[in-house]
Amino acid sequence: MSAAVTLAAPGVLSLSGVLDYRTGPVLRKQGRALIAASREPSLVLDCSAVELSSSVGLSLLLAFTRDGQAAGKAIEVRGMPHGMHEIAQVYGLGELLAGQ
Amino acid sequence: MSVDNAYAVELKGVTFKRGARSIFNNVDIRIPRGKVTGIMGPSGCGKTTLLRLMGAQLRPASGEVWVAGQNLPTLSRSDLFDARKHMGVLFQSGALFTDLDVFENVAFPLRVHTQLPEEMIRDIVLMKLQAVGLRGAIELMPDELSGGMKRRVALARAIALDPQILMYDEPFVGQDPIAMGVLVRLIRLLNDALGITSIVVSHDLAETASIADYLYVVGDGQVLGQGTPQELMESDNPRIRQFMKGDPDGPVPFHFPAPDYRADLLGKR
Repeated sequence: MSAAVTLAAPGVLSLSGVLDYRTGPVLRKQGRALIAASREPSLVLDCSAVELSSSVGLSLLLAFTRDGQAAGKAIEVRGMPHGMHEIAQVYGLGELLAGQ
Repeated sequence: MSVDNAYAVELKGVTFKRGARSIFNNVDIRIPRGKVTGIMGPSGCGKTTLLRLMGAQLRPASGEVWVAGQNLPTLSRSDLFDARKHMGVLFQSGALFTDLDVFENVAFPLRVHTQLPEEMIRDIVLMKLQAVGLRGAIELMPDELSGGMKRRVALARAIALDPQILMYDEPFVGQDPIAMGVLVRLIRLLNDALGITSIVVSHDLAETASIADYLYVVGDGQVLGQGTPQELMESDNPRIRQFMKGDPDGPVPFHFPAPDYRADLLGKR
């Protein structure tokens, strides 16, 4: 079960694989470092390569959003798979993440 | 190996005894994955014991308990610890830690079982409490909550680790009609939207039948019947009819086995 946060293009972070309690702590660090190194004015969080996400994946999106906001970046969440979107709805995050 | 991926939990030929008394005798139960399954039966018939067998808090005298491809009674202590991360339990009593506030109660399993940083623990706790409608109660202590609120906090804690299997032990007991309605909706919502397998142990027939996709009726140490709620309602098996219709006596006896009443009171003549 591999997972990663990588820079797919300037200002585009790609989350991939299984986002859960095992992978979460490392992914949080990867994302923070990439966002800190980015000089782009905007940040896209691309979820299209996510295989499976628990609430940890949603927390990662929130954490990266906070990082981006603190750096004054405009943030957009893209490509959330259906299952992840469903979970976001249960936890009342649908509009919150879509509105970024 | 477990035989069928369509089932999240399989009990095969399980026998469980307390002392000399047999609680379950060669029982087979299969819990369909992703569905709400009700396990019903009169009080004292061993429903909670069944849950404990599925959670490996109890070991069967014989038989197999398959969960997520693993036969639990054969696992080591550390493997069992890992296997339990995938199972959430809503205890009958709620079992909140009385000296921890609502936030810390829900955070507890995350702190014990994960290495997540504090900011992510906070996110997840707030998400779980939002789902049960109690995000505003994070600073309250358990003794400041109503019975229904306690049960919902316990539910938020039970789903903290995103379990694949969620077991509810008598979730409706002692709940007022509003709290009951909230719980029924939450169980269904969490099951369907999060893809959880739900096992509801209850003797509350109406509520359980209203949310369960599949029902087992247990009693007398065995499975008396199984099927959809509709199938069981229409069953002509007298044991099932007795339970589904709430008759006090029938094939499942009202009286626990006892010595002769007259002899007990007046002595032997």
